[in-house]
Amino acid sequence: MIEIKNLCFTYSDCKKGVQSIDLTISDGECVVLTGPSGGGKTTLTRLINGLAPNLYPGSLAGSILIDGQPLWELPGWAIGRQIGSVFQDPKSQFFSSELRGEVAFACENYGLSKSEIRIRTDGAISAFSLNRLQDQSLDVLSSGEKQRVAIASVYALSPTIYVCDEPASNLDDEGAERLAAALRKLKADGCTLIIAEHRLSWLSGIADRFIYINHGSIRWERTAAQMNRISSEQRRADGLRELIKAEINKLSAPGGNTAALCTKNLCCRRKRTEIFVDFNFSLYPGQITALTGHNGAGKTSLALTLAGLWRESGGIVEIDGARHSAKQRRRRIWYSSNDTGTQFFTNSVTEELLLNADRSPERIDRARQLLKQLGLYEYKDVHPASLSGGQKQRLSIACGILSDRSILIFDEPTSGLDGGNMEIIADVLQSEAKQKRTILIITHDMELMRRCCDCAINMDADRKYQGPV
Amino acid sequence: MQCKNLAVAVKLWALLCAIIGISLTSDTVLTCVLSVLGFAYLATQKNRRLLCSFGIFYIFLAALLYLIRFHNLHMVIFSEFYVLMFWNLSPVFIVAWDLITTPPGELSAFLSRIHMPTPIILGLLVMFRFFPTMKAELKSVVRSMRNRRLTALGQVLCHPAASCEYVIVPLLLRCLQIADQLSVSALARGADYPGVRGSYYGKALDWRDGLWFTLWTVGTAAFLLVGGVRL
Repeated sequence: MIEIKNLCFTYSDCKKGVQSIDLTISDGECVVLTGPSGGGKTTLTRLINGLAPNLYPGSLAGSILIDGQPLWELPGWAIGRQIGSVFQDPKSQFFSSELRGEVAFACENYGLSKSEIRIRTDGAISAFSLNRLQDQSLDVLSSGEKQRVAIASVYALSPTIYVCDEPASNLDDEGAERLAAALRKLKADGCTLIIAEHRLSWLSGIADRFIYINHGSIRWERTAAQMNRISSEQRRADGLRELIKAEINKLSAPGGNTAALCTKNLCCRRKRTEIFVDFNFSLYPGQITALTGHNGAGKTSLALTLAGLWRESGGIVEIDGARHSAKQRRRRIWYSSNDTGTQFFTNSVTEELLLNADRSPERIDRARQLLKQLGLYEYKDVHPASLSGGQKQRLSIACGILSDRSILIFDEPTSGLDGGNMEIIADVLQSEAKQKRTILIITHDMELMRRCCDCAINMDADRKYQGPV
Repeated sequence: MQCKNLAVAVKLWALLCAIIGISLTSDTVLTCVLSVLGFAYLATQKNRRLLCSFGIFYIFLAALLYLIRFHNLHMVIFSEFYVLMFWNLSPVFIVAWDLITTPPGELSAFLSRIHMPTPIILGLLVMFRFFPTMKAELKSVVRSMRNRRLTALGQVLCHPAASCEYVIVPLLLRCLQIADQLSVSALARGADYPGVRGSYYGKALDWRDGLWFTLWTVGTAAFLLVGGVRL
């Protein structure tokens, strides 16, 4: 049992933290921490797995008891043995470039025997259906596959408590379902699950209790049954995502009079691997098109090729009826990557928006409006690196909108965003579509698709266009 | 094709033999004997990629040496000195490259077995992860710069300092972030456990290892006996 009593924590390098947290989590219970971005969910997970204040220093008061024993009295490695941690961004946390080495890492650290390490590692690889990735470098896996590797590496150690910080933010529906099945199995085995998450629908049937955290404190607690009765208005007011996976109305394939962008037999090959072949589709001005498909289907590769950041290995891309080379496409198409860590180059949010552009009063005014619309105005003078993940995503969208390019491609713009921010982004994209801009969104987010997409393209496993979703 | 790696201890021994052989020999050109031994050593491990790349480079060096010796070839940039230096050091390059491209798990298993302190093993694992990670990050930065039109020739020539800053600053920030995330990941998975580290791999020595241990020992000794020792 985990007992948290009057817990207060403030980071030493900023004023953020949590206050007056009282929470009891029974053995075998699945508790979901939810609420707006920056509300304190991640801080609470860091306190439970002992990373704060050990690695994230700050002032601390109150206590956390694990089976009656104060957490702070345990050494870090002892906490890690009992409490497994799954983080949001797995790719920069790998210690090995190959699957077995990474999954075995924790077992190796705890000095288990070779036979025990092998049994646990191979078992975890099978449990998460990772066998086919055995001979691939982890660097080339899709983000969903990387997340499954990260979870498998924790699973191999068999902790009794799992603390997960947005584990499904980069997973497609199938990946999330597979993760849900794994968590269901852990729960059936008696493990305690604490999951900080915005996406709630995949947790249906697993979560016992939902804790809503905002401004650093618990605002309310609801059981799964109570959550199912919550009204849509209340859910939206709290900035929550959908609780049950709702079926999306069938979106048609893109259609219209004059295509803004058209591909003919487009092919992409990287290092002797065919990523997609003979891909034919069109995008139309004023429409928001969703590009969907499984993790690893080649969506990002397609976007990079369209934007001229990768050269196509065959076929052509036409913009407004004329064939465009990769270099020409870069002038017409904007691409916002899912990974915002390396997208910003200046010292402030405002400078970032005006980078490489004229500073006319109209543009400055437009930048100001956009920052306000995206909830970033109060951060206009801060360094982009100091923004949270969700804020960086919104800044990247703002940069795309302020660019003079008529075709905008956004790669997973709402992964890891709460319901409120998802609504804001949907509104902004819709208003740009009304200005006759062509927008392509790579997404697994059904809620976003239902909210703002007009049509959809699906890439299936054999990397060929399959028509309407 | 899957590589059949020899034990790390044998690889280290091979490297030591190659270094001793190259350092003590008085016949520079005869180092081809150790190179041939190195190529056979790669072939036994089915390290086809390394075998092909080093093989092509070695044939290129041999052709240059032939042209220099018999046709008085003189090159300004890649002079005779460099050709001979690469020819001479090739056995060391072959064996060293084979060692550093060994899967990190096998290296850490070996270090665990010789009771190397865990912080050193983790440091080594981080080092192996660092270069591919930073390479991927650099690619990502350059791609973002191209997307923002910051790599145009005019832009780079007119603002060279700013262009450097555009690459270095995000890269350094990312480097710090990755270091932070790696520390968190390591500590959350028991990196500070005080006991001896285990290993998934822990390969036991077999007859192939014994054979190559002997071949490198005998080969290097014979090479020095025939070629002479520089004292």
